[in-house]
Amino acid sequence: MRARAGEAVVFGMIVAGLLGILGGLVLSVGALGTPERVTLEVLAQLATVLIVLFTLLAIVVLTLVWLERKQLARMQSRVGPTRVGPFGLLQPVADALKLIMKEDVAPGTSSKLLFFVAPLLVFVPGFVVWLTIPFARDVVVRSLDMGLFFFIAISVLSIVGLVLAGWSSGSKYAVLGGIRAAAQLISYEIPIIMTVLTVAMLADSMSFVVVVEAQRTVPYIVLQPLGFVVFFLAGLAEVGRTPFDVYSAESEIVGGPFVEYSGAHWAIFFLAEYVNTFVIGAVAALLFLGGWSWPFGDLPAAAGVALFLGKTYLVVMAIFWVRATYPRLRIDQLMSLGWKVLIPLSFAVVVATAVQLFYDWPRWTLPAMSLAVLAVPVVMQLRGGRRRALAEARRYAERAVVVEAKPRPQRPQEPLEPQEAGA
Amino acid sequence: MTTEAQHDTVDMMLNMGPQHPATHGVFRMVLTIDGERVIDVTPHIGYLHRGSEKLCEHESYGQVVTLFDRLDYVANLNNELAFCRAAERLMDIEVPERAQYIRVALCELNRLASHLLFLGTYAIDLGAMTPIMYGFRERERIQNLFESVTGARMMHNYIRIGGVKEDVPPDFVPRARAVLKDVRKGVDEIDRLLTFNEVFLARTKGVGVIDAATAVSCGLTGPSLRASGVAYDVRKDDPYEIYPYLGFEVPVGHDGDCWDRYYVRLLECHQSIHMVTQCLDQMEPGPTMTQRRRIARPPKGEVYVHCENPRGDIGVFVVSDGTDKPYRVKVRPPSFCNLVALRPMMRGAYIADAVAILGSIDIVLGEVDR
Amino acid sequence: MVRAMAETPETPPETPDAEQPKADAAPARRGPPIEVAEEVLDERGEETAALLKRVVATYVLDSGGRGDIPWVRVAPENLVESARRCRDDGQLGMDLLHCLLAVDYVERIELDYILFSLKGDRKAILKVDLPPEEPAIETVGGLWEAANWYERETHDLFGVVFTGNPDLSPLLLYEGFEGHPGLKSFPLHDYEEW
Repeated sequence: MRARAGEAVVFGMIVAGLLGILGGLVLSVGALGTPERVTLEVLAQLATVLIVLFTLLAIVVLTLVWLERKQLARMQSRVGPTRVGPFGLLQPVADALKLIMKEDVAPGTSSKLLFFVAPLLVFVPGFVVWLTIPFARDVVVRSLDMGLFFFIAISVLSIVGLVLAGWSSGSKYAVLGGIRAAAQLISYEIPIIMTVLTVAMLADSMSFVVVVEAQRTVPYIVLQPLGFVVFFLAGLAEVGRTPFDVYSAESEIVGGPFVEYSGAHWAIFFLAEYVNTFVIGAVAALLFLGGWSWPFGDLPAAAGVALFLGKTYLVVMAIFWVRATYPRLRIDQLMSLGWKVLIPLSFAVVVATAVQLFYDWPRWTLPAMSLAVLAVPVVMQLRGGRRRALAEARRYAERAVVVEAKPRPQRPQEPLEPQEAGA
Repeated sequence: MTTEAQHDTVDMMLNMGPQHPATHGVFRMVLTIDGERVIDVTPHIGYLHRGSEKLCEHESYGQVVTLFDRLDYVANLNNELAFCRAAERLMDIEVPERAQYIRVALCELNRLASHLLFLGTYAIDLGAMTPIMYGFRERERIQNLFESVTGARMMHNYIRIGGVKEDVPPDFVPRARAVLKDVRKGVDEIDRLLTFNEVFLARTKGVGVIDAATAVSCGLTGPSLRASGVAYDVRKDDPYEIYPYLGFEVPVGHDGDCWDRYYVRLLECHQSIHMVTQCLDQMEPGPTMTQRRRIARPPKGEVYVHCENPRGDIGVFVVSDGTDKPYRVKVRPPSFCNLVALRPMMRGAYIADAVAILGSIDIVLGEVDR
Repeated sequence: MVRAMAETPETPPETPDAEQPKADAAPARRGPPIEVAEEVLDERGEETAALLKRVVATYVLDSGGRGDIPWVRVAPENLVESARRCRDDGQLGMDLLHCLLAVDYVERIELDYILFSLKGDRKAILKVDLPPEEPAIETVGGLWEAANWYERETHDLFGVVFTGNPDLSPLLLYEGFEGHPGLKSFPLHDYEEW
């Protein structure tokens, strides 16, 4: 009984929180201004904005799904989806329809309320961050002065959803997945925060728009390559993609927190995964690749959006590329990579940037320091496991037992008899 | 308000299988885990038990071959060969040389196909998606070749007591050469993508270590045993058919970890290609079935024969009572024996390692459960 | 539930394809007379046989062999000691229990321990005859870890009890399966499960 009451309270808090985030944001949507009173008209406008946004989001996700399937297929010498629509473009739509029409099953041991609200909790943060991402200088739903901060603050929320999904499923695999998700996502949040902080220091602002404007001549990937590498790796872990898909590991814990979900609720998780992937790609493009700007002067808004999307998809495709290449890390290796490599590196990034800014050293010293630090793990890696393994492989050749072919005895030429049918 | 005084942790039982993506069939292992660490593992088999050995007692010798097809269903021809050799030994039949060459060529191709499947599925177990596509692409070429020879892609029933069903098609040799050329490329692709991949090394090096003494005591055979440093290969130590006339190398590992088991198999792929090439070179025209007419009823007696299967040492024990049906057939399935080594391998592993270790001994449940 | 077994525990089932003639005498059979294979050991086999007889020594009840695999028959109570000697002998060194199997000859159940020596490349079979009623023998699990599963399987299919084996729970069969399907008295088709 008490458990049920507790569940209800948690549920209420979650719903209230979600509504608060969404409502607060949407009410302050830039295009609408801040209305004096909430009238029906305002609500209708809100609904329109939400619907438009959601449609855009759906389109982005569907193209991402298609892109991933096609790209993976090409990398694996397949053709990918070809049947539904031209080039299989409508395949994700068909998949989505199928998922929505499927029966929504909840396990008998699950806590139903939390079980069904958990997918939303994973999806909404991605959706909300999406509201603040500028596609070009003026193409943005709500440009926040604290955009970077907002991105970090909101994107962490999805951890709660994953843990909740794992716990409420009433399945051991899901619980393991939920716990893994908590450990992994919290650990990898730190490098992300640190690298974002570096960018904020460089641009002297936490607004996405200002950050992009500051990269008009030199994108930050040139100034701070190590920062980009750390951000990219931590971002991979943050959206749970190979080689960091430890919490949903298909071949170990069968999808982790998602194992018991089916139909529309599973589709929401799926949607969330792609939204988050897109958000990480977009943020990487904004923070390190210069967003909609390029060094050769101003661009019209449409071209800016195209450029930004191009850069975003470049990052996203790199994420897919990694997926086609690498196996999955083990949980302890994942944690030690996070805590022993990425977090120290991200601190190094912050310190290097601070030193350069404080002493006003010439700008080229920053990439120099960055690359010097980056060289350390690279060299360690090259001298470490891989070299040992290569040496080991050479020893195989020495150890192999060679079996010489004996000469075949010359047999007298037998007359070829016509073959009889077998016995 | 009462506060719970004890904060003891308890071990969790995690039931992996019989329906689990990484158990390669209906295999179930109950892991006792403490957090992410595996404390103990209890394998449960028998979900695919069809009583093959009992069925063999009710079929004539020729029909038993079809039952052997269904034991290790990714290395069908090797199984057929094992039983046919037992029956031939029982009946004292000399197999024509051409038939032996065809048998060995096809068995080595089948070993290649089986290892390609292993390379792919093992990568999948570790979360790498791509190698299985390469592996299946190349395996498909071999399957097509089999189809042109035997008429079937899996359950061939091609190797018969006293020879093979019929001669290979006239274009077999050039087709096989073309296939081998492609397959060699495919194996190299997997090699380049996976073998020295940092993450792959991290996941497999030093995982699931088993030393040579324990491995032998557990009855581990085949590539898994050779990975532990024991250079025992039936083709080398107890050569059968025309293996003495083939030159090859037996790759031997050192540490007995998952990476060694993977790499030994990868190198064996190259050796198999080498052996098939030699078979194709040496093959001469001739009869493919023994000329002896009476091959249905062996004399009373018993025989034990063992062959090198892709997964290890398959043993076939046949007791004949002089009738046209075997009195008792017992198969020593390599996967079954290799599974015994699962427990010593898994002590102290992580959950993710459990999957890696199980994948690395490459079981086929059709053979384990019979 | 194996109903056929429960109803007619003693008599063999009356299915046309059951193995009746084999258990009984030959007269019912038609067709050519049964030949008996010659048991001839080759050079390698003779060598191993000599070693084997020296090692197992007084326990040998009977011996024979074919090709390179000699066999000796020992009494059930001497089996473990014989196996231990085979394993520990310097020259024989049977370090691999290649296979353990049972054959139901109706009047007796024969266990075959197929031993391999990986270094010396020798093979040998230890044979033991057990009574068909309540067959029991000591486990060789202390000598080879591989024995555990073979023994469980043999227990499943033939009902041989291996004393000292820590876990004889069903391996290939499911919990609660009645009867021992490997035995000749167990029908191939006419029994009901569930």
